[in-house]
Amino acid sequence: MTRELLQDKPPREPAPGKKWIRVTKVVNGIDSEVWEEVDDVQGPEWGPRDKLRLVSRAIPRVDGPEKVTGRAQFSHDVRLPGMLYAKVLRCPRPCAKVRLDLDAARRLKGVVGVVELGVDEVKWLGRPIAAVAAETPELAEDGLRAIVASYEDQPFAVTPARAQVDGAPLVNSKGNLRGLSRNTDTSEVDAALAKAEVKVKGTWRVPVQHHASLETHGIVVDYRGGDEATVYASTQGTFTIPGDAAGRLGLKPNQVTAVVEHMGGGFGSKFGIGIEGQAACLLAKETKRPVHLLFDRASEFHAAGNRSGGEHELEAGVSRAGELTAFKARVTRDGGISDGAGQPQPYIYAPKVAFAEQRCVHTNLDGHRAMRAPGHPQASFAMEGLMDEAAYAIGMDLVEFRKRNLPEGKRELYARQLDKCAELIGWAAHAHRSKWDASNAELKTGIGFGLARWGGGGGKDCRVEVRIASDGSVEVLSGTQDLGTGTRTYCASIVAEELGLELGQVRARIGRSTFGNANPSGGSTTAASLAPAVKHAAWNAKRALFDKLAELLGGEARNFACGGNLIYDATDKTRHIGWKDACAALGPNGLAAQGEWQSHLAANDIGGAQAAKVQVDTTTGEVKVLEMVAVQNCGLVLNELTARSQLNGGMVQALSYGLFEERVVDPDLGLFLNANFEDYKLAGCKDIPKMLAVFEDDPRGVIGMAEAAVIPGHSAIANAVRNACGVRVYEMPLTCDKILNGLIALKKA
Amino acid sequence: MRAFDWIQPKTLDQVLELLPGPRDTKQRDRVKLLAGGQDLLGELKEYLVQPEQVVDLKSLPGLAALEFAADGGITISALVTLAALESSAELRTRSPMIAEAAGSVASVQIRNQGTVGGNLCQRPRCWYYRREQALCIKKGGAECFAYGGLNKYNAILGGGPSYIVHPSDLAPALVAAGASAVIRGKKGERRIELERFFTLPSEGSVLRENVLAPDELLLRVEVPPQTGWRSTYLKFRERSSYDFALSAVALALKLDGGTVREARIVLGGVAPIPWRADKAEAALVGKKIDDASCKQAAELALVGAEALQYNGYKIPLTQALITKALRKLS
Ligand SMILES: Cc1cc2nc3c(=O)[nH]c(=O)nc-3n(C[C@H](O)[C@H](O)[C@H](O)COP(=O)(O)OP(=O)(O)OC[C@H]3O[C@@H](n4cnc5c(N)ncnc54)[C@H](O)[C@@H]3O)c2cc1C
Repeated sequence: MTRELLQDKPPREPAPGKKWIRVTKVVNGIDSEVWEEVDDVQGPEWGPRDKLRLVSRAIPRVDGPEKVTGRAQFSHDVRLPGMLYAKVLRCPRPCAKVRLDLDAARRLKGVVGVVELGVDEVKWLGRPIAAVAAETPELAEDGLRAIVASYEDQPFAVTPARAQVDGAPLVNSKGNLRGLSRNTDTSEVDAALAKAEVKVKGTWRVPVQHHASLETHGIVVDYRGGDEATVYASTQGTFTIPGDAAGRLGLKPNQVTAVVEHMGGGFGSKFGIGIEGQAACLLAKETKRPVHLLFDRASEFHAAGNRSGGEHELEAGVSRAGELTAFKARVTRDGGISDGAGQPQPYIYAPKVAFAEQRCVHTNLDGHRAMRAPGHPQASFAMEGLMDEAAYAIGMDLVEFRKRNLPEGKRELYARQLDKCAELIGWAAHAHRSKWDASNAELKTGIGFGLARWGGGGGKDCRVEVRIASDGSVEVLSGTQDLGTGTRTYCASIVAEELGLELGQVRARIGRSTFGNANPSGGSTTAASLAPAVKHAAWNAKRALFDKLAELLGGEARNFACGGNLIYDATDKTRHIGWKDACAALGPNGLAAQGEWQSHLAANDIGGAQAAKVQVDTTTGEVKVLEMVAVQNCGLVLNELTARSQLNGGMVQALSYGLFEERVVDPDLGLFLNANFEDYKLAGCKDIPKMLAVFEDDPRGVIGMAEAAVIPGHSAIANAVRNACGVRVYEMPLTCDKILNGLIALKKA
Repeated sequence: MRAFDWIQPKTLDQVLELLPGPRDTKQRDRVKLLAGGQDLLGELKEYLVQPEQVVDLKSLPGLAALEFAADGGITISALVTLAALESSAELRTRSPMIAEAAGSVASVQIRNQGTVGGNLCQRPRCWYYRREQALCIKKGGAECFAYGGLNKYNAILGGGPSYIVHPSDLAPALVAAGASAVIRGKKGERRIELERFFTLPSEGSVLRENVLAPDELLLRVEVPPQTGWRSTYLKFRERSSYDFALSAVALALKLDGGTVREARIVLGGVAPIPWRADKAEAALVGKKIDDASCKQAAELALVGAEALQYNGYKIPLTQALITKALRKLS
């Protein structure tokens, strides 16, 4: 489990003037929580919620017009004078010794650079092994096909099943089953299971899901020799780029500037420059010309990471009174060549006795990467399924059974959220609350539920600057990246709020490594890290301005206030000055103020519940999701619109995961069969139900709220299907074949 | 894709000149015709075909006419777009199932671009066929990988030695309407029932899905008057937003006070060709549409269906669609 608190309490009493706070630290997008000692100082406050003008209100993204008109420049769109287009050659075999002859490719007209990506033995299907840069994308592709490659096939295993049979080829020289738990003593849980009044068990499986970012991975490197380079990157971490790129270009990190003006989604898969970025840098170094290398869709599917699959063998004991008395799990993660993110069990609910064994199985496929709430959606699917099975087994209301098994310290929260979901989805009026619908109706309706938890705390990695120019214009600068989530917008709105200006008066400049440092966007840590620092910078700028004005106007700076483009002395309203005049008084240098993270402006710990209502056509197996509801605590909502989009987007992504998404690889041929957006099915607009997103009133500071949103939707859908027609689909996605086969099996039984 | 010459002929004769000879099957893929390009581009990008010349049919005049004759007949030229069919009120009146089938294809963007000729002549979507690396029987290899492989989307009827399903939505609807294809080759025009246009892998060449010779192209489809027929097209897809059919039913009925006088049932998504369920059609004649006749028709339509490892669900699914379609028209 990756995000358990190390300890419940701080390690010791805080030093004078200090305090302990919980913070989320991220390594490769996987968060874990630690205690950190910080200064206990007075600083800016978000202020009463009802007094806020911009923050927490519904503000359209400031970059919306640019995006919808196509003016926004993504890394894909970058075109530089003399730029070459590059493409990568993927190893077409899951496991092979590779020899490449690049001569013919080099000789091709229009091909300018060819590099080998330094592998003799490839261990996973689709690994980039060479790259070609040419005058046009088409010529680059011709160059790839001119490479003479010989592959000496080695035995491979591309499915967890094949990797676990006796005599399976070794994907990992230390064995295909890895990360075995040290604690193997099951005696306590076995005894509890033996004593259980009722037992339920099942094996749940989730397939590998892909991030499916609309902008693929890659970079454009502007290097023409010399000692400076600019890298336009599609990344979740502006500051993860310069060091990586410098290494490959033979420069120092401070000679490389990363630019991330806009980026088209990452979901946890875009940190550092990756193999594709390395290839681009090597080509730029070789050709001394700018190189554009962004994956095509097939490469994106093969070599840009994924959400690990998993198998959860669960067994539980339950009392007739509705208490989970025993819980035993064996979790086998399917993380390709890597381990897969932990899929914690028991997920959220708190059985009296619990035991979980965790392990991973290696296959000759691309390794997993962090993906929106790594490990949690997988764990949720199995656990929520088990919860319903247990409730059905004792004939208890599905919501009531959940409420009886909530974890210490979270009972009130989750009970309240479950009740709210139940109310909004129409649970009380639903006929099948403790058993599923066994009627012969053709169209049947069912409801299901699920819970989510996440950390979402911030940390002190951000440095923000606010500049006020003598002409009255205001800029906020941070190197941070906007993943399309609205970061740029709240940077501007927080500053405008603090300075009493309109949103349009503040320009946010972000996505450049020459600006102040910012943390990479992983583990829902961006808002909780950045927003407090923005607030602090604006507050410092305001204080510096007030100090200047006190000199000019008299009065005391601490009595000054601002609003409506006016600065005034709150104790003497005759003492006032318009914004423009105030800024003019700053002289040609204007003013700049820095901001740092303020722990009291952020918080940590998200809880949420979701419900889904589906209709199953029992003659065709069609599942139509009719309604989804999400209730979540979110701390201070920075922007109602973008926060709502996160909850809606979470529900959409979970629906897509539950109903459609699945990587398909032929086990015999070792061939990825659906590495495109036709066969790898993502939900489209016609698949989306009515959605309702509810933020609970939450007095806390800013918390990253986006990951929890994706955790339980598919679990609720799978439970709703079972509730509607009796078919428990143990393996996602919930396609019609599984439902029809399940209905036939039910009829026979 | 491999580089090719882009040719924009002004007359049909120029197109015919470019095409290989009628028996020159080896040269077939040297020249490819491009209509809307929605299918061909995918094939080019995956190197499934590597033509030297691509001929743009859209530059030809007179191939985009949708005509409604006074006697009720409908003429649909090859370059009529799916969007034009879908949005024609007259077509929807004369043959709802053709309009519905056109409207069920892919997405709005693809329907705006895709044509009737391209839709009928499109190549299979089987994911083995569509991967360059899998040299399957459809590409001149020895084996149908779907047969013993991941065959959830493959054929339950008429399969062998290839188990593709015909991907076109229009084809079942046009066959059910009794349409004919007008074909033009170097030696002139010929006319053939659309039902005979499509070929099973066991009958024609396993490399092809229709009777077109290397020198031929489809000029138009002619639909006889549909007076007295009621019709519908029901398509089941995994994803509502855009998806090929897992199964589809084109149904046309001539009813006389609730009694079936004539019936046409053509299945899509389940066989390498639009699959005519003639036994089911015959069984319906003289009957009223009720539970018993629906059940009988649904069962007879699937006689001979053979499930592979992962596509058995298509049998109950198709039966359900047939029943739904019959109920809808009754
Ligand atoms: C994502 C996606 C989803 C799709 N979904 C569906 C679907 O749900 N249902 C469906 O039916 N189809 C679907 N299609 C397939 C197809 O692209 C469309 O049906 C479209 O109608 C093809 O028409 P086109 O004019 O673009 O064909 P083109 O790509 O131009 O041509 C297709 C083939 O037919 C040949 N051809 C074209 N015109 C003629 C002619 N007059 N005579 C002889 N040969 C000719 C071409 O040489 C080529 O081999 C989908 C395609 C995509 C990419």
